[in-house]
Amino acid sequence: MPASQPMIEARGVEKWYPNGFHALRGVDLSVSKGEVVVIMGPSGSGKSTFIRTFNALEEFQAGSISVDGIALSNDLRNIDAIRCETGMVFQQFNLFPHLTVLQNLCLAPVLVRKRRRAEVEGQAMGLLERVGIAEQAGKYPGQLSGGQQQRVAIARSLCMEPRILLFDEPTSALDPEMVGEVLEVMKALAADGMTMVVVTHEMGFAREVAHRVVLMSEGRIVEEAPPEIFFTNPQHERSRQFLAQIL
Amino acid sequence: MAANSLLASLRRELFASRGDALLSAGLLALIAAAAIGLLRWAFGQAQWVVIQANTTLFAVGRYPLDQQWRLWLLVALLALATGLSWGLLRANPRGDRSGVLWPANDRIAVAVLAFLTAWAPAALRLALPLQLRWWGITALLLALRWAAGRWGRRHPPQLLRWVPLIWPLLYLLGMVLISGGLGLIRVPPSEWGGLLLTVLMASFAILASFPLGVLMALGRRSELPLLRWGSVLYIEFIRGAPLITLLFLGQNILGFLLPGGLAPDRVWRAAWVLTFFCGAYVAEAVRAGLASVPGGQQEAARSLGLSVPQSLQHVVLPQALRIALPATVGQFISLLQDTTLLSLIGLLELLGTARTVMANPDFLGKNAEVYLTLAVLFWCCCAALGLGSRALERRLDPSHSPA
Repeated sequence: MPASQPMIEARGVEKWYPNGFHALRGVDLSVSKGEVVVIMGPSGSGKSTFIRTFNALEEFQAGSISVDGIALSNDLRNIDAIRCETGMVFQQFNLFPHLTVLQNLCLAPVLVRKRRRAEVEGQAMGLLERVGIAEQAGKYPGQLSGGQQQRVAIARSLCMEPRILLFDEPTSALDPEMVGEVLEVMKALAADGMTMVVVTHEMGFAREVAHRVVLMSEGRIVEEAPPEIFFTNPQHERSRQFLAQIL
Repeated sequence: MAANSLLASLRRELFASRGDALLSAGLLALIAAAAIGLLRWAFGQAQWVVIQANTTLFAVGRYPLDQQWRLWLLVALLALATGLSWGLLRANPRGDRSGVLWPANDRIAVAVLAFLTAWAPAALRLALPLQLRWWGITALLLALRWAAGRWGRRHPPQLLRWVPLIWPLLYLLGMVLISGGLGLIRVPPSEWGGLLLTVLMASFAILASFPLGVLMALGRRSELPLLRWGSVLYIEFIRGAPLITLLFLGQNILGFLLPGGLAPDRVWRAAWVLTFFCGAYVAEAVRAGLASVPGGQQEAARSLGLSVPQSLQHVVLPQALRIALPATVGQFISLLQDTTLLSLIGLLELLGTARTVMANPDFLGKNAEVYLTLAVLFWCCCAALGLGSRALERRLDPSHSPA
């Protein structure tokens, strides 16, 4: 079971978009080291916005967030430090199309961590091996299938040796037959003790891997429970409605 | 067999139906009539002596005779650099993936080059020593192309990464050779002319306007209001004014506007106006390129810890510039053609030289010969730019299409 040392600590996070939309209304969440938290909720509920505040891709106007003991503030050095500790996997993969798979993996470690290219390439090949696509290292992202691209994206995040991985609907843009291969990689990561926050609708993954499931609705956390309770005996009416819709 | 299939495909393409056949026959007749007329004029009536007698004037204007060895040296160096780069490019295939040392295109290029070297100096009735010089220069280029191709194969690509550096160095050296200094006699810009001046103006403006345009495009997307509004003001002002008015304006005010020594005379003032003009259009092309890179690219780069300049340099700009390349080169091609406007402010570039030649009583009424030569010269330069751009595009294409 996860230890109790908090990796992410969010307190009363409020976010308004420039058009006045109140996206987050006082959200609290604490994620321990080694814990896998799945965030669910209908579209527009603020779940993506919420995890994007963790690595400062979204600003927030009130409340506080600290990641691995570093407080998120407007101080750019803190933001850069947090981004080095947190990897993010996007719905649309966002691989760099002008670089080969191997170059995609090596770019940030060489530029940001100032590591030697040869050494990073060795590590990158190991990671590609781990996600099962080492033979594609010399290809460009456009030559790979969606599932392969998303596995490259996961390996790219891992190459920075992050302490936390954020997943923003990692399987939503995939053809159904490719969802499984990505989820397998994520399960293996969870088994290795990686701290993960995952926005997803994959019930099977949540049931099997998550330590905790969080349901968001209209910018608030409605329910927070271990999966065996969340899926069988949800406490709130809103959760029952949501589960009825996606089951 | 081959002739048969050619005939068959011709029949299929041109004479498929009665209507097609009529249209094709009519068009072919028109084309043939025009071609026969042109050829009859070119080889019968036209008096090419107006070109033959003025080759030096068309090439370099009134550049002092006793200093022209410097230009010959520069042409020889250019041939060397071209041969070297060409050979190394083929020895280290990247984007084009063919890996052949002598692809068909190159053999065609060599044939064209050899033909031009044999034909053009003779047709222009150059003195024999000058003809020999051109042959020597071509031989130099081809020899180096051959040698570099073989040498490049046997050396690691890392070593060859430094080779492109010879071009900026050569450009600086060329400026010294042309204008003097460092122990060479000064040749003031007022004595440059003809093709030399055209190429100099165009190349300077192209090289300087590209970074300017990229900076302005980034400025226009900047979050700093002063930078953004400054860029918008600059781009919209330049794009809203005809080049010819800017050229006249530049002659009058650039002397005060630019820091001392940058625009000392009319030639350099015109060069800066061309640069600023082209820069505004390049900025718009680059802005379109930047806009077409999905926001997720920047987000992914930032989420990996790259700083804003790092993500621009390594992620966003490489993609944006590749997309902006065709439009940018299109701008460069119009810029090259726009250099003819310099004749209106009294500079003796190609068109200005042509006008002085046509005003010479010895060559009255030889306008058609002169203008045709000019058109062909400009077409060659623009075609070269276009070919280069397409080759670069292919080389930068990371084979997006799924294999």
